[in-house]
Amino acid sequence: MASSEAESGTLPEAMEEEPFLSNLDLFLFTLIAGLVIYWFITRKEAEPIPEFKKLDQPAPMTRETSFIEKMKKTGRNIVVFYGSQTGTAEEFANRLSKDAQRYGMKGMAADPEEYDMCELSRLAEIDNSLAIFCMATYGEGDPTDNAQDFYDWLQEHDGELGGVNYTVFALGNKTYEHYNAMGVYVDKRLEELGAKRVFDLGMGDDDGNLEEDFVTWREQFWPAMCEHFGVEASGEDSSIRQYELKELHDINMNKVYTGELGRLKSFEVQKPPYDSKNPFLAPVTVNRKLNKAGDRHLMHLELDITGSKIRYESGDHVAVYPTNDTAIVTKLGQILGVDLDTVISLNNLDEESNKKHPFPCPTTYRTALTHYLDIMHPPRTNVLYELAQYASDTKDQENMRKMASSSPEGKALYQNFVLDDNRNILAVLEDTPSLRPPIDHLCELMPRLQARYYSIASSSKVHPNSIHICAVLVEYTTRTGRLTKGVATNWLKNKVVGDNGHKSIVPMYIRKSQFRLPFKASNPVIMIGPGTGIAPFVGFIQERGWLKKQGKEVGETVLYYGCRHESEDYLYQEELAEAEKKGVITKLNVAFSRDQDQKVYVQHLLRANKEDLWRLIHTDNAHIYICGDARNMARDVQTAFYEIVEELGGMTRAQATDYIKKLMTKGRYSQDVWS
Amino acid sequence: MENYIKTQSAVNGGEPVYVEREVADMLSSTDLSEMLAAGTKEVHEKAENTQFVKDFLKGRIRKELFKLGHVALYYTYEAMEEEIERNKDHPDFSPLYFPELYRCNALARDLEYFYGEDWRERVSCSLATQRYVEHIRQVGEDDPVLLVAHAYTRYMGDLSGGQVLKKVAQRALKLPVTGEGVNFYQFDGIHSAKAFKQLYRSRMNELDLDTATKERLVAEAVMAFQLNIEVFGELDEIGKDIKEAIMDTDMPVYEAHGTGGDINKCPYYAAQRAASGGSAYVSQLAMAVLRHPTGQVLFATWVAALAGFAAWYFM
Repeated sequence: MASSEAESGTLPEAMEEEPFLSNLDLFLFTLIAGLVIYWFITRKEAEPIPEFKKLDQPAPMTRETSFIEKMKKTGRNIVVFYGSQTGTAEEFANRLSKDAQRYGMKGMAADPEEYDMCELSRLAEIDNSLAIFCMATYGEGDPTDNAQDFYDWLQEHDGELGGVNYTVFALGNKTYEHYNAMGVYVDKRLEELGAKRVFDLGMGDDDGNLEEDFVTWREQFWPAMCEHFGVEASGEDSSIRQYELKELHDINMNKVYTGELGRLKSFEVQKPPYDSKNPFLAPVTVNRKLNKAGDRHLMHLELDITGSKIRYESGDHVAVYPTNDTAIVTKLGQILGVDLDTVISLNNLDEESNKKHPFPCPTTYRTALTHYLDIMHPPRTNVLYELAQYASDTKDQENMRKMASSSPEGKALYQNFVLDDNRNILAVLEDTPSLRPPIDHLCELMPRLQARYYSIASSSKVHPNSIHICAVLVEYTTRTGRLTKGVATNWLKNKVVGDNGHKSIVPMYIRKSQFRLPFKASNPVIMIGPGTGIAPFVGFIQERGWLKKQGKEVGETVLYYGCRHESEDYLYQEELAEAEKKGVITKLNVAFSRDQDQKVYVQHLLRANKEDLWRLIHTDNAHIYICGDARNMARDVQTAFYEIVEELGGMTRAQATDYIKKLMTKGRYSQDVWS
Repeated sequence: MENYIKTQSAVNGGEPVYVEREVADMLSSTDLSEMLAAGTKEVHEKAENTQFVKDFLKGRIRKELFKLGHVALYYTYEAMEEEIERNKDHPDFSPLYFPELYRCNALARDLEYFYGEDWRERVSCSLATQRYVEHIRQVGEDDPVLLVAHAYTRYMGDLSGGQVLKKVAQRALKLPVTGEGVNFYQFDGIHSAKAFKQLYRSRMNELDLDTATKERLVAEAVMAFQLNIEVFGELDEIGKDIKEAIMDTDMPVYEAHGTGGDINKCPYYAAQRAASGGSAYVSQLAMAVLRHPTGQVLFATWVAALAGFAAWYFM
């Protein structure tokens, strides 16, 4: 009987002492060695099992990596790829894939990281297929992490993507140098590889309004797709309503909205704090015409904020909620043949949506069209497309759908009929007699009426309980002979100062801005504000005057103003003259553009004072402020500054540009401009 | 990019306005905003490259860590904003007094969302955060001008990357679009982050400080970054412990299609687990035993005994 040693560790030693091994010993040794080896092997295999690295691949065994196969299996013809870092592009992709259904197609959203993108060329195997790309740009013009592989493949691949239909929507931010680089690249590269672009590249700017850019692009995209595929929006889908109409008779009128933005009765019972959902109803105490002559109407209004606890700084913006012209609202009611005072509610068919109603409900059609809906802006193409079904004349219907398509003919038609002729929805209805949509669908499609912002023309140090507004009435006659007025400016003009107890009120709130006088009164300021751009500077000048009265040392206060004719529209002429006399304005420069043969603008005056300006900017630490028209004036003024810096600073144009850009970064060159 | 400028200007009949020198001089400055930006560039990159931040940006942020991060932020901002309030009229800080920047209330709302109404009892200040808080308190009491460095470090960052982080957090943690849990990133009183930062910089530059103080501020800002980096590091450590404990119940970052994010509902995953489940447990146990030296000896003994028995049986 072989003895079994208690310690296996001694067994091998025993072996060595007896060079001659018996068969039994050998057998035992082999057996034990075999068992030990087996133990080692199973030990290694046991380790990996508890580690769940499969977090990014929950079903590695059966996950489909071919999007083509997946599409075929699930009967889809549209695939929406997304390059997303923060989830926005992914969200857009999901929305687009859901949209497909409304147009009789089937879509799916797909992460390019999870699929074999080299299969792209196989899209041709599927009828009426389309690849949409929602591509975000990251960092220095780079692809998002999940699109990196796809990006590499695009660069290296040299294949043929004939038969592949595609379109791209790019997401990015204009303040970055490589704005939408990824989206632009994908759009270009796919074409180079032979794919067919079926709709123009969409550019989304997060610095502006990414959502809006997306919705606008998408609203034009789908009708174009329908046309491209020869697909009609399917029967039931042609009336794709988001909301359901409920008419409410016998309702307690206390429960009905009459123009409030948030809480019911917030207009009757006013409670601070006041903001965009809860504006303060400020009585109008002054409303006077500012210009002495000319065919325009410039106005100065004063709003009383006593008792509201509202505080503001000069340079802030006052937001006001205007209402639409009642005459236009009434005409809409007539043309659509409805009783505008019907109380209704539009309820979201998607019960899970946060947005229960398109505007505060229950309310009347009259209130909705007057307070909540924008009926003056030219209607967007998607609105025309959705309303087309209500045109009894087939040609009208065709035209309306065409205007929403991406065909050059359609685009031209829209440009001409809607944009160049400045047609609002009423005008469209009037000029398309066969088009008579139900009013509730119309209400669902119209965008919300937005608050308007005005630079406050007063200083809270001098007028703590009053907010001043300087505005010009927008008024023009369209090519079709319709006299059109700006919603807010027309509404403001008609806010007569109350007498006999009836006060005109303006629902308002303050939106803080970063347009501020320097902290130190001793710092000089250079203000450039032609036309109504003078508004915030009226406040600035009042404040500098107040500081001077307080005995503070106030630095140079320089104003550059411009208007058309000295005798006509020189705004606040008396106030400015007074301020100059008192030394509050140390240098007043005014350009009258039309008082002589050649046009003279503020930028000409700037150039004429270049030495002074250079000294103020470079040596005296002056802050520069520009207010007014964004498109031309702000740009021309900036150019004038480049020239001054270039010349007097002895720099190249590039260096001068750098210099000014640096002033902007450091908050010494600020702009409050509008287009 | 350094260039040399013209030696003469054409103004005023050719009288030289500037002698030859680097344009960089003309464009550079002793502006505090620029000194801070330059002086913290390196440490800023370092902060961006901590594991915690890198993971966050990629959406790999676990809820537990995010919550703890928020707790750290709460204590930090509570201290900083109290010190700012105390010093708001101090000439070395008042130009930078902007209550619309305050984050404390927003953080409190977020913590209430995550931990419930009794959140104050449930959270506590970690070690690294405590060090940060104590430093801020000391600065506020003894040397208020240095508060500028702390405000700069936190608020300017919040107004920059903050917006991106908000979206990342919402997506990764499946937070509601109505903004609960990410109020911290929302500046209701500030319409344009870009314009605000420009205003903030102009105010920093309006402070009346000598060069020595400005240099101290730069050093203090670097210190503030370091204190933040230490908090991230602490979170990383906590993160490693959490990983083992709540591995099974934590939702994976990647959303399994069609299961609403719950990996346990994924049929493929379930099948896989079932197949390996039984043996996995036994193997784990065996492995644990075998790791231990005594276990090894016992196992060897057992093998030897088995072999001996087999030998006896067959002989």
